[in-house]
Amino acid sequence: MTEAFFKVEHLTKLFPVGFPSCTAQEALVHLQNGLSREELKAKHHMLAAVHDVSLEVRQGECLTLIGLSGSGKSTLLRCLNRLQEPTAGKIYFRGQEVTAYNKDQLLQFRQQHVAMVFQNFGLMTHRNVLDNVCYGLEVQGMDKEQRYVKGRAMLEMVGLTGWEGEAVQRLSGGMKQRVGLARALANEPDILLMDEAFSALDPLVRNDLQFELLCIQKKMGKTIIFITHDVDEAFKLGNRVGILRDGGLVQLATPEEMLSSPADAYVRKFINDVDSSKVVSIASVMESPTALVRATDGAHLALNTMRVNGVSSAYVVDDKMQLMGLVTLDGVLGVLDKKHSFADILIKEIPTTTTPEQPVNSIMNLAVQASYPIAVTDKYNRLQGIVTKAAVLATLCND
Amino acid sequence: MKKSVWLALMCLFLFLAVSGCGGETKQAKLVFCDAGWDSLRFHNAIAQFIAQKGYGLATEELKGSTPVTYTALLRGDADVYMEIWTSNLATYEDDVKSGKFKVAGINFNDSKQGIYVPRYVIEGDAKRGIAAVAPDLKTVADLAKYPEVFKDEENPGKGRLYGAIPGWRIDEIMFKKFKYYNLDKNFVYFRPGSDAVLSAAFTAAYDKGVPIAGYNWEPTWLSGKLDLVLLADAPYEAQAFLEGKTAAPSVPITIGVSAKAWQQQPEFVKFLQAYHTSSALTAEGLVLLADEKLTYEQAAQKFLKKHPELLKQWLPEDRRVKVEKALEEVRL
Amino acid sequence: MNAQFPQIGDLGLAKGIDKAVLYLNVHYSSAFTLLKNILLAYVNFLQNILNWLPWWLFLLLVVVLGKKLRHSFWQGLALAGLVSLIGLVGYWQMMNETLAIVLAAVSISLLLGFPLGVLFSIVNDKYFLPLLDAMQTMPTFVYMIPAVMLLGPGKVPAVLATVVYAVVPLIRLTSHGIRHVDSAMVEAAQAFGSSRWQILWKVQLPQARATIMTGVNQTLLMAVAMVVTCSMIGANGLGMEVLIAINRTESGRGLIAGLCIVIIAVLLDRLTQGIGSKEGEQL
Repeated sequence: MTEAFFKVEHLTKLFPVGFPSCTAQEALVHLQNGLSREELKAKHHMLAAVHDVSLEVRQGECLTLIGLSGSGKSTLLRCLNRLQEPTAGKIYFRGQEVTAYNKDQLLQFRQQHVAMVFQNFGLMTHRNVLDNVCYGLEVQGMDKEQRYVKGRAMLEMVGLTGWEGEAVQRLSGGMKQRVGLARALANEPDILLMDEAFSALDPLVRNDLQFELLCIQKKMGKTIIFITHDVDEAFKLGNRVGILRDGGLVQLATPEEMLSSPADAYVRKFINDVDSSKVVSIASVMESPTALVRATDGAHLALNTMRVNGVSSAYVVDDKMQLMGLVTLDGVLGVLDKKHSFADILIKEIPTTTTPEQPVNSIMNLAVQASYPIAVTDKYNRLQGIVTKAAVLATLCND
Repeated sequence: MKKSVWLALMCLFLFLAVSGCGGETKQAKLVFCDAGWDSLRFHNAIAQFIAQKGYGLATEELKGSTPVTYTALLRGDADVYMEIWTSNLATYEDDVKSGKFKVAGINFNDSKQGIYVPRYVIEGDAKRGIAAVAPDLKTVADLAKYPEVFKDEENPGKGRLYGAIPGWRIDEIMFKKFKYYNLDKNFVYFRPGSDAVLSAAFTAAYDKGVPIAGYNWEPTWLSGKLDLVLLADAPYEAQAFLEGKTAAPSVPITIGVSAKAWQQQPEFVKFLQAYHTSSALTAEGLVLLADEKLTYEQAAQKFLKKHPELLKQWLPEDRRVKVEKALEEVRL
Repeated sequence: MNAQFPQIGDLGLAKGIDKAVLYLNVHYSSAFTLLKNILLAYVNFLQNILNWLPWWLFLLLVVVLGKKLRHSFWQGLALAGLVSLIGLVGYWQMMNETLAIVLAAVSISLLLGFPLGVLFSIVNDKYFLPLLDAMQTMPTFVYMIPAVMLLGPGKVPAVLATVVYAVVPLIRLTSHGIRHVDSAMVEAAQAFGSSRWQILWKVQLPQARATIMTGVNQTLLMAVAMVVTCSMIGANGLGMEVLIAINRTESGRGLIAGLCIVIIAVLLDRLTQGIGSKEGEQL
């Protein structure tokens, strides 16, 4: 059995609230015996911020965790790099028990394997941008020349070249978070922990950064654990999404699975507001074109194809499967009546999209105006599939 | 709720403030100056006991430094000064002449002041194992022979002579004496800053058995406790003394009374005029304080019990009886 | 109504302390002498430098420091002007004596106060706060008289008394500054695997710098405030001049000497206020 990349087993974190009337260990026993969270807080003044959470994170995936404030998501994240010490439970990274690390091992873990991006950026105002980005490398003992080279490369990746010497106070929110991201990535961590990293930014900037994160992840294959309270964001960024409620993990599934089969009424209500068109990708509603005609086929074949498939238009591709255009029934009939040539009736101006990974709502405008289904092509203009207007509009209605 | 609480507090405050004012006209208190040193407080305690028990007067003390309390006496804010060390106040004679206050008489006039050294410096102390390091030291001038004995650690190569409290008149005179005997060649005139520090320096040296030379005066608890020798000097002569060339005179320690009290309390003033003690008697009182750890009041009462002859000297028959009765009632 | 509070006396505490001081004085005098000599050497060293420095060079130094630390040539000039007043009334030598003690006390305070402040920020300092309060409010003479007995009167107990009093703001403000560094920054530093020492050195101290400099500034001023008390323990200088004037009820002389002390305070205050906020000014 291959060892899990990152595993959390029965993680629990208790906090005293005021003057607790029992020890943490006793409280754990109470919880095991069935005492509820509220009772524990009322009677013993102990809060179970995280209670018995187990999950596994696969290498290269982006796992998002959502929950309301007080659901324990921030606490859980901080337990993963032991900024908060778990009261009970174990954490494993590549088979090694993180919760058993001594001080030095923990420092090494934080320096080399896990990095964090914070909601309030956590930048150091007494350092310039470059020194902030290089902080993690500095802590590891890398010499100045080396770390500056790395730092500059990171800044380039987040699009902040030229800002190295600036004071961080001068940056806008979005730029600050890019610096935070650059700092985290400079360490070349295996895991990125992101604590509501984009929640403090305005919506436009947030969008940009979400997109950049996705690009970076695709490029670098990082494993990301992302906390947010924004369901849309969670569904957009996550390969898998987990919902936390009152310290416990309610459901952990892919966005589509969660949409189609929510675990309980709470989950259903929670994701009710999700605008699927922002979440569901074009690729997932894409269909294979049924009526496909080659440029060399001729009008008779085109007509036949349309008749067999019961459609009134067909896509025309060349022998490399590159999309040339669309022909309609009327157009083909015109060729057969020898009024026009095939080339004349080829409609080249058809709605196309080349980004099937984008959410459906990115082609909403296109879909509303189009008279034909939207063709999905790759960068070589080869036809991948089509998206009908009906499919697009269906994502607007959840049921 | 909050507002009415505030209002109640303000009313209470005003009531207390106003009710405090009434007491003024009832009975004037006699104010005694307390400039901090032991013998003054001792005499204050005696005089206040007699004022309260013999004359039925209310008394209180005004505490402060010498110049502050003296100024209070001149202004009439204070009434009685039991020990005025006349040599330490620059404007004393002028103030008496201009009638700013009245002199009731002399408390004692056999006090001494000057340069002292511990006896063991001259004679050694076999019991403590101290050798006599300066056997020929008799006069202030002789000090010049012994700078290395009284060495000053802050100024190596020189000796240290502790001066008087800076600002006292005697300090200027001591400094002139210092230069007059050419001690400035090999000695440093060190101003101790306060009499607490001067006493501490003497006590520390004495406990360790090391030599020390400096200004001091009698009677104090220090002079009572430590065995100090006053270095001899030229016989006293008024003008020469001011230039530092002679020994200090026995300073007449006078009793001062404010012009106001002189008029308002003629009977009590008579007592003050009759009040005489001596350096020895004062020292006796100081020993009571130091050794038996009594309060000033207790020491005063014990002292009076031991010296009925003083009461006979100071007080008319009827007042004396009252005081003696009060002493009997005191438990000591 | 007015019953006396039940008393049991001090249980021999006072006598016990007397005995202890006597014991130390007689049996450990060599140790105390050593301590005294070290401190004395240090103060004398400072004083020698000040005495050697010709007055015009001193004033020039003030102008240069003023330009550098306050970014204003005119302020430097104004400060030099004030200081020259001290020389004009004839107190230059006394100023040097006073400055030597103040600077010695402040430098020792920095040496002690800064690490102690860091320590207090880490350890739960609510137990030490009463100690700091005591250091600032216990009447100086109470602990100075034993010190004078053990170390002799003069510059050394004066410097010690000043340190006891003046080190407190530095300790408090260093501790406060470090504790109140933005917790987000500290958390970020932790998340990136910084050791405690690295967090202190790379994040907390740079962030607390302005507050710590305020502490230094306060320490300086408190040291100057102790000048007159120091004279009562036997230290020469402007404080002694004030003391003499007080004892002689010579208000004018006291005021002039006092003003010179104020000028020293202003000089030190103005120069050191520049340092902490330098960065703030540039931004």
